Amino acid sequence: MTAMLVSASAAAPAGVVPTDRAGPVLVVDGLKVAYGNATALHGVSLEVHAGETVALIGANGAGKSTTLRAISGLLKARTGTITFEGRSIANLAPDRIVAAGIAHCPEERHVWPGMTVEENISLGAYLCRSKAEVQRRVGMAFHRFPRLRERARQLAGTLSGGEQQMLAIARALMSEPRLLMLDEPSLGLSPKMAEEVFEVVRSINAHGVTVLLVEQNIHNALSVASRAYVVETGRIMAGRRSEDLRGDPDLLRAYLGG
Amino acid sequence: MTLERNTLLVALVGALLLPFAVTDQYLLHLAVMALFYVVLATSLNLVVGYVGEFSLGHTAFLGTGAYTAALLSTHAGLPLWITVPVAGLVAAAFGFAIGAITLRLQGPYFVIVTLAFAEVLRLVANNWIAVTNGPMGLAGIGQSGLTDKREFYFVILALAALALYLSYRFVYSNAGRAAVAVRENRYVAQSIGVDPFGAAMQAFVLGAFMAGLAGGFYAHYISFVGPEVFQFAFMATIIIMVLMGGKGTLVGPIVGAVIVTLLEEYLREVQELRLTLFGLIVMAIVLFLPNGLMGFVARRREQHGSTILRNTPAEEKTV
Repeated sequence: MTAMLVSASAAAPAGVVPTDRAGPVLVVDGLKVAYGNATALHGVSLEVHAGETVALIGANGAGKSTTLRAISGLLKARTGTITFEGRSIANLAPDRIVAAGIAHCPEERHVWPGMTVEENISLGAYLCRSKAEVQRRVGMAFHRFPRLRERARQLAGTLSGGEQQMLAIARALMSEPRLLMLDEPSLGLSPKMAEEVFEVVRSINAHGVTVLLVEQNIHNALSVASRAYVVETGRIMAGRRSEDLRGDPDLLRAYLGG
Repeated sequence: MTLERNTLLVALVGALLLPFAVTDQYLLHLAVMALFYVVLATSLNLVVGYVGEFSLGHTAFLGTGAYTAALLSTHAGLPLWITVPVAGLVAAAFGFAIGAITLRLQGPYFVIVTLAFAEVLRLVANNWIAVTNGPMGLAGIGQSGLTDKREFYFVILALAALALYLSYRFVYSNAGRAAVAVRENRYVAQSIGVDPFGAAMQAFVLGAFMAGLAGGFYAHYISFVGPEVFQFAFMATIIIMVLMGGKGTLVGPIVGAVIVTLLEEYLREVQELRLTLFGLIVMAIVLFLPNGLMGFVARRREQHGSTILRNTPAEEKTV
């Protein structure tokens, strides 16, 4: 099914936002967020369609992470609407948003260093009350990340950077989200390790999970995402298919210095 | 986890045997007070160690429990078996009400507001003479047929065992892990669906319940309750115990409670210097053992453990 969606979007005419039959799962419209008096987002609007991988790209401090935090409820929006699967989630508490099917994997791959790998992973299914179900999901996570299985009893703080990122992603997947939001998954990783992380993201997406990704590294982002939004000082400056963005060096240079 | 459990079980067996080895009434009194402080330090540790917020108002629950037991005993003549559990429940209700307000705050705000609640309750106890008898306190609380220090010892040992059992169950439950997750990183905890307020509330109410039990026991054991149960001096003692033993561990508060109880007693010899020495000890701990004695032990074990890990080929570059 996912393969169909991917080919459907690939077949869409250039320059047009692909609209597949599933329709948008996430619609953000006119989102404004402020930290005290400092406005961080001046009306961000974007759409993510079922089965897509969408990237938010932009310089440091452009408002990419703020957008993700507002979607997952960690920050309250001043104005604007956030609709997930047709339901408004703008005023829900973060735990209700997780329950609704959105998982947010925060930046800097925060894991709980004093807990074991297995404890970190099972906590990801915190909202799941059935022990058997949690066990099943832990089994799936270990199946997907065999390296974490080897390290199951180790303290998360002893893992390498790449392993910690994998752990953070595995933990986010434990709530079995339909939309996974990843904040700078390649930050501080070697190019080789970053490539492995993106390989994992592709495989997660191929299993039917929609992905919204924040990246500073444009080339990595465009290699994994089908579409990307360029964010600059709290505004969306452009939203294009990845191939089109790659073919528009002026735009990339203007906003991303690349 | 298993190490912690086994240490607790060994300590329990030791504590059960103690009164058969020690018959001296004075030493038994010290043991009773040490266990009383074990309950208090364990309950405060749930908030300070696991929620990670620094409560200076824990005496609110100790005092509420003590006054509840004292009033039930002096007015209704109820025995300890009833008053102490009721004291715990009343304190838990206070914990719920105070927690509902204070747990919305963090850091210094939480510290100040919890302190304010304890102080308000002290003023109430001091001035609501019709009920609390004001500064004169409530005297002549029945001892429910417990005359021997040894009998009191077994009662408080049962309460301490209960407190540690409840703490153990909490710490290794989902709610306990969630509380630690919030303590370590609030954002990440929220991102997996933890409600920080709910997790902290469970720990706070549980801690209030235990402190209330300890307060109820205290009322019967001393057979007098006055407004000083709300006083900051009590609070300072409990905090030193938790910090010295090691916050965020189950064994730490026990170690801290026993050491500080003995120190308080044996430093009586140098009455004037007692508080000064105490202050110096606290400073030394904060500077050199920020995670307390048990934190120090844990770190030594970890260092030992990591040397073993280093011998295995753990340093692989790919994931």
